[in-house]
Order: sequence, then structure tokens, then C-alpha cells
Amino acid sequence: MDAFIEQALGLLGAAGWTLLLCLTSGVAGTAFGFVLGLMQISKNPALRWPAVVYVTVVRGIPVLLLIFFVYFGVPLLLGVNLEPFFTGFVSLALVGAAYTGEIFRGAIQAVPRGQSEAATALGLNAADTMFRVILPQALRIAVPAGTGFLINLVKDSSLIGIIGFVELTRAAKILSNLTLDPLGAFLMAAVIYFFISFAISRVGALLERRLTPQFGARKPRVDDPALTPTGH
Amino acid sequence: MITIQNLHKSFGDLEVLQGIDLQIDPHEVVCVIGPSGSGKSTLLRCVNGLETITSGSIVVDGIDIGASKNNLAAVRREVGMVFQSFNLFPHMTALENVILAPTRVRKLSKSEAVERAEKLLARVGLADKRDSYPAQLSGGQQQRVAIARALAMEPRVMLFDEPTSALDPEIVGEVLDTMRALADEGMTMMVVTHEMGFAREVSDRTVFMDKGQIVEIGAPADLFSRPQHPRTQDFLNKVL
Repeated sequence: MDAFIEQALGLLGAAGWTLLLCLTSGVAGTAFGFVLGLMQISKNPALRWPAVVYVTVVRGIPVLLLIFFVYFGVPLLLGVNLEPFFTGFVSLALVGAAYTGEIFRGAIQAVPRGQSEAATALGLNAADTMFRVILPQALRIAVPAGTGFLINLVKDSSLIGIIGFVELTRAAKILSNLTLDPLGAFLMAAVIYFFISFAISRVGALLERRLTPQFGARKPRVDDPALTPTGH
Repeated sequence: MITIQNLHKSFGDLEVLQGIDLQIDPHEVVCVIGPSGSGKSTLLRCVNGLETITSGSIVVDGIDIGASKNNLAAVRREVGMVFQSFNLFPHMTALENVILAPTRVRKLSKSEAVERAEKLLARVGLADKRDSYPAQLSGGQQQRVAIARALAMEPRVMLFDEPTSALDPEIVGEVLDTMRALADEGMTMMVVTHEMGFAREVSDRTVFMDKGQIVEIGAPADLFSRPQHPRTQDFLNKVL
């Protein structure tokens, strides 16, 4: 039993690295993806096309190959060797940017056209129209897809183990070699992955509600006949 | 107040406005009627630059909107617009909808803007709805908030693009009453509408458009009772 707790704690430590990897690459990827999303809807082809090409190409390459390209390509191109963690961070951020870029583009374009027209007619400039009118609505639309993206990111991070970084899946593999109980080790890892994903989807659902004030903090409509007492 | 000269507008090969000339004086209320696809909404949307014009000119309050981007921005500050589909910002309360442009564009302080917004919401009969979100309001209430939002910029001209077309028949009246009160206060208004009763009663002049052209223009008493052009007669026979 003691051995079991020890093993579980070892996996939890590796899960910490998985979380750190996903958190950093998720933030960087989302920031880059936000820029890509804006570029994709730009009227200027010099901004639009590089973003469209980037998103299409990166989404068309298996994540594992992209990791290899970064791991083996960067030393060749820049002459510096990358730490496995940093390789993982860069690879997952590059992939994440392509996916979130597409999510942001779709969400912004899903906001009805009348919204930007109303803002324009009121005299708001392009930046105010985007940041005060369109984006608050687009973010809510983006949350479900964004939640799915983050869950995928957590699972994709298991591929980083292949280049030698000890994240959760690799730790489980090492553990199974020690205990000769691969099923037990991988089951423990799976349970940890599940709880991380579960937490992300709960936070996503919460965020979606928070970003929908007209439904989240619903006040009764005064003129709603169902709420008006009808005599005694 | 608005001078439109030889205005042409094409979408691709389709010329939806074919040489419009129209002059609207200060404090005048002009209603534009006509069949669907006649170009009346496009004409209205050209006046505040929501559509770019293909040729011709539009001058609003002395500002030629086609001359520069600055002019276009200046015209938008002076021209309020109310849409068929309200287009309130759904993530903001009624009050936040009304104060957004005054604080961001006119650079009013928040307290000044709130004071102005509360007066306007009271004027359209919705003082008690200031903290409601659009989804909590009926269509008629949303449209009245939209009118208050446009008025908060203290425009010299108000454009209405079929403001009652998306409303249930029994609540059309509350929006028309708000518009009538605005007309009585001397606002210059250009109204694209299917409400013939409103056009007849409130407008100083009524414009009948068909196939991208102004077919007939005149005092509503004349245009509705003694239409001169056969196309006007035909249209009025169908809708009245």
C-alpha cells in the first residue's frame, strides 16, 4: 500500500509538469492565436494570407511531427539545442495558435453583422467596436470550442514524452517498467488526465455562464404576466 | 440638412440606386416608402456611410461624407440611426448601451453620460429598465432603448430603417409614439417605413421609391390621396 501511495505521488509530480507545460503553452498559443484570428479577418491581404496559410499548414501536420521539427529543426536553423520542456512549450504553443486562431476567427464572425453596424453608426472607431462590442460577444461564443482545445492540448502534451521530457505519460511508462504493472500505471495516469480535463470543462461551463449576464444573472421581467400576481 | 445629388450605388452589376436627388430641410420629417428591393434602405444606409456610394454626393449638415474619412466620422457623430433589428448590444444593460457612445466618442464623463442616459430612458418610457439586459426586454422596449441610444449622441438628424417591421402588431404603436414625439420636438428625420398611416400623419413629405429611383415626392396628403405616377398608384392600391 505504501508503495502505491509513493507511485501515485510520483505520477502527481509528473502531472504538475504536464499542467505547467499546458498552462504556459496554452497562454502563449492563445495569445498568438488571438492575433492570428484578427489577421484572418483583416481586409488587408498582406495580413490575412500569412495567417490563413499558417493555420492551414499547422493544422494539417500531426502534432508529433511538429514536435520533431522543432526538436531537430531549431538546433539546425539556430544552432542552439532546446531543452525538452522548451521544445514542448514551443511545439504546443505553435499548434495551439493554429487552433485558437481558427476559433477566434469563427467566433468573431459569428457575432451578427448588425452589431458592428450599430457601433459604426454610433461613431465608435474600429478599436472600440472590436474591443467593446464584438469581442465580449465573441469570447462567449469561443468558450465551448476553447474548452475543447484546452482538453486536446492536455492530451497532446503526452507526446512530449517522446523527446525525453518526463511528463505524466512518460512517468507512467517509467513507473510501469519498475513495477512491471503497466495497466496499473497507465490507469493511474488516465485517472489524472481525466480529472484535469474534467476541471477544464467545469471551468469552461462556469465561464460561459459568467459571460452571459443576461441569462446568468436573470432578473424577472416586470411585465411578464407569469410573474404578476393576479388579485387575491 | 441633407443634400443628396445624383447618387448611384451598385452591388456588383446590380445598380440599386440610379441617380437619387433629394434635399431634406432642418426639422423636416421625410418618410420613404416603396416596395421591397426598391433601394430605400440602401439610400438610408448611404446617408451615414454604412454603404459606400458608387458616384454622386451626400452632404449632411454641410459635411460632404465622401470627401474624407474624417468627414465620414464627423457625419456619423451627427447622424443617429435606428435599425429594423434593434441591434442593441446584448452584453450590456439598457443604460450601458446608451452611455457607450457618449463616453467613448463624445468623451463625456461617466456621470454626465449616465445623467443624460437616464433622462433619455425616461423620455422613451423606460426609466425602470435601465439595468435590464436586451434579452429581458420586449421588442418594443428594445427598439425604444435603441432610439434613446441614438439620441444620446445628440444627433442633428435621425435615420430610421423600418423601425417597426420586426415588431408584433400590438407593440408597433409604442415605437411610433416615441418617433412622433421626436418629430414634434423638431428633429430632422428620414424614415424608411411600411407604416403608411405613420407616413401620412407624421411626415412633411413622403418619397415613393421604386427600382432604385425616386418616382414621386410630395406632401403626404397629395401623395396618398392623389398619386400622380401610375407606379405610385399601383403600389398604394396594393398596400392601403
